[in-house]
Amino acid sequence: MELAAILVLPVIASALSLSPLGRRYAAPLTLVSTTAVLILAVDVAALAAHTGRVDALDGWLTCDGLGALVLVLVALVGFTAALFSWGYIAGRAGHPVHHVQRYYGLYNLFVLSMLAVPLLANVALMWIAVELTTLLSAFLVGYEDTAEALEAAWKYVILTTLGAVFALLGFLVLYWGSRVAGLEPFTWLGLVEAAPRMPPALLWPAFLLILVGFGTKVGLVPMHTWLPDAHSQAPASICALLSGVETTTVLYVILRLFPVIGGAHGLDARPWFIGFGLISVGVATLLLIYVRDFKRMFAFSTVEHMGIILVAAGLGGTEAHLGAAYQITGHALAKSFCFFAAGMTVMAVGNQDIASVRGLIRSSPLAALALVAGGFAIAGAPPFAIFVSELVILKAGFTGGHFIVVGLLALFVVVAFCAVMFHINRMVFGIPDRSIAAPTIPTSCKLTLAFAAIPLVVIGVFVPAPLLGLLRAAAAAMGG
Amino acid sequence: MLERIAYNVLQVIVVVAFAPLVEGVVSRLKEIIQSKRGPSIFQPYRDIWKFLHKDEIVSERSSWIFRAAPYVAFAAPVFVTLLIPVLTRYPLFFAFMGDMLGGGFVLAFGGFFATLAAVDSANPYGPMGASRTRMVGFLAEPVFIVVFLTVSFVAGSTIPYIVQTHWVAPIANFFEPSHVLLMIAFLMLILAEDGRIPIDNPSGEFELAMIDHSKALEYSGRGAALMKWAGAMKFFVLICIFLNVLVTPWGLAPEGGGPIAVLLAIPLVLLKIFGFVLVLVYIESSLAKLRLFRITEFLGAAFVTAVVAMITRLSEI
Amino acid sequence: MSSPAFPVIAALDALTGALFLLAALGVVATRQVLASLQLFILQSLLLTLSAVLLGIALDSFHLFAVAAITIVTKTLLIPWLLRRTVSAEVYRTREIERALNIPSSLLLSAVLIVLAYVIANPLLAAVTMPFAAINLPLGLAAIFLGAFTIVVRREAVPQMLGLLAVENGVFFAGIAIVPSLPVIAELAAAVDVPVIALVVGLLMRQIYRRLGTTSVGHLAALREQ
Repeated sequence: MELAAILVLPVIASALSLSPLGRRYAAPLTLVSTTAVLILAVDVAALAAHTGRVDALDGWLTCDGLGALVLVLVALVGFTAALFSWGYIAGRAGHPVHHVQRYYGLYNLFVLSMLAVPLLANVALMWIAVELTTLLSAFLVGYEDTAEALEAAWKYVILTTLGAVFALLGFLVLYWGSRVAGLEPFTWLGLVEAAPRMPPALLWPAFLLILVGFGTKVGLVPMHTWLPDAHSQAPASICALLSGVETTTVLYVILRLFPVIGGAHGLDARPWFIGFGLISVGVATLLLIYVRDFKRMFAFSTVEHMGIILVAAGLGGTEAHLGAAYQITGHALAKSFCFFAAGMTVMAVGNQDIASVRGLIRSSPLAALALVAGGFAIAGAPPFAIFVSELVILKAGFTGGHFIVVGLLALFVVVAFCAVMFHINRMVFGIPDRSIAAPTIPTSCKLTLAFAAIPLVVIGVFVPAPLLGLLRAAAAAMGG
Repeated sequence: MLERIAYNVLQVIVVVAFAPLVEGVVSRLKEIIQSKRGPSIFQPYRDIWKFLHKDEIVSERSSWIFRAAPYVAFAAPVFVTLLIPVLTRYPLFFAFMGDMLGGGFVLAFGGFFATLAAVDSANPYGPMGASRTRMVGFLAEPVFIVVFLTVSFVAGSTIPYIVQTHWVAPIANFFEPSHVLLMIAFLMLILAEDGRIPIDNPSGEFELAMIDHSKALEYSGRGAALMKWAGAMKFFVLICIFLNVLVTPWGLAPEGGGPIAVLLAIPLVLLKIFGFVLVLVYIESSLAKLRLFRITEFLGAAFVTAVVAMITRLSEI
Repeated sequence: MSSPAFPVIAALDALTGALFLLAALGVVATRQVLASLQLFILQSLLLTLSAVLLGIALDSFHLFAVAAITIVTKTLLIPWLLRRTVSAEVYRTREIERALNIPSSLLLSAVLIVLAYVIANPLLAAVTMPFAAINLPLGLAAIFLGAFTIVVRREAVPQMLGLLAVENGVFFAGIAIVPSLPVIAELAAAVDVPVIALVVGLLMRQIYRRLGTTSVGHLAALREQ
């Protein structure tokens, strides 16, 4: 019942935002809806961590450990980003009321599509949901209506849809294989069951197609070219959603494939996961050194973390999978926080160029503080969650004997840490070039930072038991 | 055996005699489509007659190439006629003298000689047209080669008669995708080789834009007659290769048919050629001439079509 | 090997497939934007024809449904949507600059077609479905050519048509390998295509209004120096 409610609420919120009622109340309506969704999602997650799986609507909707984790994260970031949007979007000049209404209408539908991905049991419907995440966020990415934003939106739509269509072929071949194996309902659970009976010659190309196709949406190198553009040109709240949870949602689909391949004889997905993951981390690290725009910097960091999660999944074993689940959580929280900080910086400074920002700590202390905290969190410094999860992953790889992988990963992580901190230091400290009048930052943005900071700080130090249970359930689902 | 030699000679006579008629029909039809009356279909014969009775003027500065070219250009299609099926389905006496590649070489030789003669004449438009003809020629080569390779691979031989037996005789093959694609590719090739729209305007008189017709610019009298006739015969020969070897063997005299069947084949083949002429005139009247550097795109498209035909055929084997 | 069970239909299907591939090549190679659109419509019609043929041969209602959906969405709805969202001027444009000139693009396309056949062979060797030998390689080739179109073309409309051509290719392969797709998936895919066209069309309109040009390949402001 709650699963259905989770999907229905955003639709109502979107419709109301687009109606005349939304002219004044679109933001609060969205906030109420996302709060309700968050509460429901936490409830579902607790149930799923306890019983292992939640079903609804006669099996059309289902949620297991990994799905519940993704669901909670999407709901949480949906909530914080909605809170941030309230102040941020209202403060953007040059956008008439119906633009704002359209923003909230699309926002709610976008969050809906992301919520649907872990919930839909039928694989074909899940593909539709992933497609819809792109289509619904296209105009959100281009919201600022500048040349760069439109260029970013165009590349985003074309490249990710291309990837999704490739993945569609992969799913069709998977369906072909499942028909040969005699399976009827096309669900993830059914696929894992039928995997041993599917001909490997079909399963393997399907896997590759889905990895490459959806890997485009996740931002794996070399299909990542659209990501820095889209994730930097969108308004900060949308960036938080895109970087924090949308890429994770699609990565969830790829991670779902892992037990399916694992069930088939003679096929090994792990080298591919590790290979793609390492290349993504490496290239992202390299690009982090040369980046010039701080929102792009955070976008590259997303590519890096997606790579790390994929490597962790590929290393195999409960420890590594637990590390991956923890990393997913830490990344969603930290990345959204970073983008909220970046949004505040943009409000304070007016542009996104790293070189032109100096001495932020003097001109806009709150933004500077948030930026430093976010930078530490995402780069993997203690006491934040990502530090712990990266340690867990490295340790799991080490004990598993993959020394080269661990060595490379450690090297990349350290270099990325230095690059991010270097850029942020340049921005935050130093003498400001000119005295900038500190603009007033909307209350909702400050509230968002406070809200988002709490879980970020807490989880790095202490993982509450229910969350640990959820993480373990997610890791179990990953391993198959 | 005597019969076969006789039929071979009959083939040559048919080609030599009817080639100008085909040219005449094409011009008349194009004019009719443009709502004009057009010249009589026998006009090319009258032109050739007229040229033969005029004086020939030859530049002092030209060499033996200029004088010999009309004869070489006339002889080339005649030789090729001996090799290809024009009237009969079964191989005739000279059929094994050369295969399709050999026939292609001979045709190319004739064209090459005419191109040399155009350069020889020192008329400024001659070499310009000659270089353009060579460009079209070398771009068309890969298409020829792929088409011939495909049909020869399928037929197991490069002799046109044998190719025809294996390629077009089974009627089910007509709708084969490789068949259709090769037809399209070879049609584009004929348009290129013979200087039809969209490559070149056969009825234009503007020397600066001429590609194929510039080779006949300097000739007068007997030379002009022979060059004109040679052009018409080359066109006829290409159509025969296209229709009889690549498309359909309909209308050709079968084995053991005797002289009546062969004589009957003449109007039937002419009827088939007339059908093709209708298609050709439609194409010519609906397209515009391409700019010079777009010709590479046109022939590139023909090449890729031929390659796709080759792939689809070979992947089924 | 063409299916021995349905020789006539297999031959017709093979012919349809070859023309389908030629249409895909046309979308890569033609300069005029309007011509690209017409070739795309032709490609969709050929997809419909193939679906009908396979539906008759395999006696599958789903394939007729796919054919009907394709006709409605791709041949009627999408051109109408494009006409409504994108201004008429866009259709009169010719692409002057491309990332790669036409003869080279055509040659690379030929390589891609060979690649598609090479990739499809192991799949076909593993499992046999009646028409998969024809449709799978050709569908795969159309997919590669559509992706290539997106890379090579600079104008917005051909890029979008490349995207939709890839989808055409997926369905062309799909109708042979999974002739009884769940109805949900068909309906969903049917909704998906017009939504893509709508979104991309509206985006194109915004780009045209804001930047005055639809030459999206030339937008390169976002880059590391």
